[in-house]
Amino acid sequence: MGLVESGKIPKPLTKLLNMSRRYSMWVYQWGLACCAIEMGAAFASPRYDVMRLGVIPLPASPRQADFLVVSGTVTDKMAPAVRRLWEQMPDPKYVISMGSCANCGGPYWDSYSVTKGVDQIIPVDVYVPGCPPRPEALLEGIVLLQERIMNEDMAERWKGDPIVVE
Amino acid sequence: MVTTESEQMAYIAAQAADARVNVEVETDEGMTLNLGPQHPATHGTLRIVAKLDGEKVVAAEPIMGYMHRGYEKLTEVRTYPQVTTLVNRIDWLGSFANEVPFILAAEQLMEVEAPPRAQWIRTVLFELSRIANISLFLGDMAVQVGATTPVFYAFRDREFVLNQIERVTGGRFHPNFDRIGGLKDDLPKGWIEETGTVIGKMRDFCDEMEELVLGNEIFQARTRGIGVIPPEVALSYGLSGANLRGSGVDWDIRRDANVGLVYDEVDWKVWTHPDGDSFSRFWVRLQETREACNILEQLLGGIPAGPIMAKVPRIIKVPAGEAYVATENPLGEMGFYLVSQGDLTPFRVKIRSASFSNMSITPWLLKGVFVPDIISILASLYFILGDIDR
Amino acid sequence: MAEIPEHLLKRAQAAREKAAAQKKAEGEDSAQSEKAEPDEEPEVEVVLTDENAEAALAILETALQGKILDSHIAPGRGLWIRVAIEDWRSAAKAAKESLDCKFFDWLSAIDWMPSPYGREHETEQDSVTAEPEEHDEKEMEWGYTGGETRFQLICRVYSISRKIGVMIKADLPDSDPRALSLIPIYAGANWHEREAREMFGLTFDEHPDLRNIYLPGDFEGHPLRKDYPLLSRRMKPWPGIVDVELLPGDEE
Repeated sequence: MGLVESGKIPKPLTKLLNMSRRYSMWVYQWGLACCAIEMGAAFASPRYDVMRLGVIPLPASPRQADFLVVSGTVTDKMAPAVRRLWEQMPDPKYVISMGSCANCGGPYWDSYSVTKGVDQIIPVDVYVPGCPPRPEALLEGIVLLQERIMNEDMAERWKGDPIVVE
Repeated sequence: MVTTESEQMAYIAAQAADARVNVEVETDEGMTLNLGPQHPATHGTLRIVAKLDGEKVVAAEPIMGYMHRGYEKLTEVRTYPQVTTLVNRIDWLGSFANEVPFILAAEQLMEVEAPPRAQWIRTVLFELSRIANISLFLGDMAVQVGATTPVFYAFRDREFVLNQIERVTGGRFHPNFDRIGGLKDDLPKGWIEETGTVIGKMRDFCDEMEELVLGNEIFQARTRGIGVIPPEVALSYGLSGANLRGSGVDWDIRRDANVGLVYDEVDWKVWTHPDGDSFSRFWVRLQETREACNILEQLLGGIPAGPIMAKVPRIIKVPAGEAYVATENPLGEMGFYLVSQGDLTPFRVKIRSASFSNMSITPWLLKGVFVPDIISILASLYFILGDIDR
Repeated sequence: MAEIPEHLLKRAQAAREKAAAQKKAEGEDSAQSEKAEPDEEPEVEVVLTDENAEAALAILETALQGKILDSHIAPGRGLWIRVAIEDWRSAAKAAKESLDCKFFDWLSAIDWMPSPYGREHETEQDSVTAEPEEHDEKEMEWGYTGGETRFQLICRVYSISRKIGVMIKADLPDSDPRALSLIPIYAGANWHEREAREMFGLTFDEHPDLRNIYLPGDFEGHPLRKDYPLLSRRMKPWPGIVDVELLPGDEE
């Protein structure tokens, strides 16, 4: 569509597209540590049932995913792989950082091998605090992300080069 | 966009290199298959590099360290009460069980003994975390051989156990409830009766799993005679827990080297299986979950009254000495070798975690198996990454 | 730290009375022997309680013929022996063959040098400074069975038939810390030795593959050495310097 390049997407169209994007998100689960089990409980258990939010938790590869949940401790050895995985995702892509470790290092704030926060390597949209956060907290994080997507200006988002974080 | 041919070639090469991360890489002799570090069968972040000859594994090498968080160094700069917060997170499925050996080691050096009530409640929570841990294994093992339904059942029924743990400790996952000299709090009102019902539900869950998985033809074909570990080999690699008992070694720390918990007070049985294959490891774990229900039922009936905390100093300094305490955790033997020099912090803590030793057998075990069996063998060995990498 | 308050003793006593009579006897004995042995007495005087461990020690002494430099028995808690580094492998072999210690528990090392940085969390500095605070030089203090050098190898093997665990220790020379690998005796020693190599910078001869097991290949230093600093602690003071928690039933 030339509309994006010219920056002239009509407001109702933006809203319509955003609404559809909001309720059809594929999430790539990046289960790293303890939080992965709570994420599993949120995504795989009938009790929390993430699909009612319009989130589909089973893409086969990051190339099909809309957003990524980094759940757990990112170590320095793992960091390149996290970065690479994020790079493989198609734009527009979003990241939820789940749990204290992914947010800031958490209990391993002084460890020699832990990356103190995944936002050092990839941009994060929503931080879910907790050690580990309850599944409900992750669902709340997803709802916040959906709100963010809803209010996004598509022309702004897709204009120019993809976001690069140094 | 106009690009030169060399630019295009470079782009294609880069894409190919990118795509190769998780697929096969051809080498001079045969093929190298890379599993992980992000792979559903590796429970997180284990990576396995296998050299293949056709469908057969010539050599397999686990590469870990993607979850290495430096526990042993960090314990040297944490005070004793802070250490339990940390060690909770080693085996994140049965967290309460991690605290117990450390606390017991510190109690041994301080010559403090928890009051009987605290010991009973510790044992109850220990067994609850065992059920919480192994029930997920039962579902997960089925997923790894291709059946998706059991894992949903596991997640569903596990919630009941987590609820009970949460009602006592306040934490679903990381209770941090154990204290040197006892426990943080007493049981809430009505908890014992409720746990009784939960035990009934877990029994049903075990029956369901047995019907759904154990008798299944495909499951049997994928696990019977696969990944056989003879008892001698299992011992020399330091396998413990259900992996050892699945090889027919009748050894359980709860019965044979019990420290500080009240397993002597109840009547229970250690399950072993002589086959040593993936199936027997699954079978032993299933029986152990049932046995844990039995233990719990007896324990809940007999919790003695009394205080839950012995008198310990406010600021905990552990006298100089060395102690090694191991307990039979859901994954196997977990032990803490605690060296104290009379300081606020431990001088050295060596964490003997079960999965590390259990996984050290994989290069030996995966030699000569077929590619799909890698997954079922790994699943049956049952490891948790935090427990391997620490 | 040695003295235990009276009321505590009474309470512990009351708790023990509920336990089995045999267990009670063991508990008291261990309390006595603990008080008697802080200055590394020769083992025979102290060890009067744990017959199982004593028998095991006797067997090991015969098997190793005077190679045991020192030993320690903590009643009910196990057996510690120390051998010279040349006898490291033969001690493990003797434990496996004569004592039936087929179960390889774990292998690791200890750095006995007191940390030159103290515990680092006493530091209250906000800004980054190049050097940590000066601490008094502490002497090295070794644990059970004593020691002579900075690094000590330690290995635990367990005998399922005898229900006894043996800790084998050996001093490593300061200049060139190396030992023979235990892989020919216990195949499981492989990963444990890799870990010890990585964490302490030790070398194991005849080990097939001493690559890093946890850390990336270009990691510098050996984290579990006491002189390896945790740099994050220098950047930021520990938020909870004093850790005092009210106990249940304890009111201010």
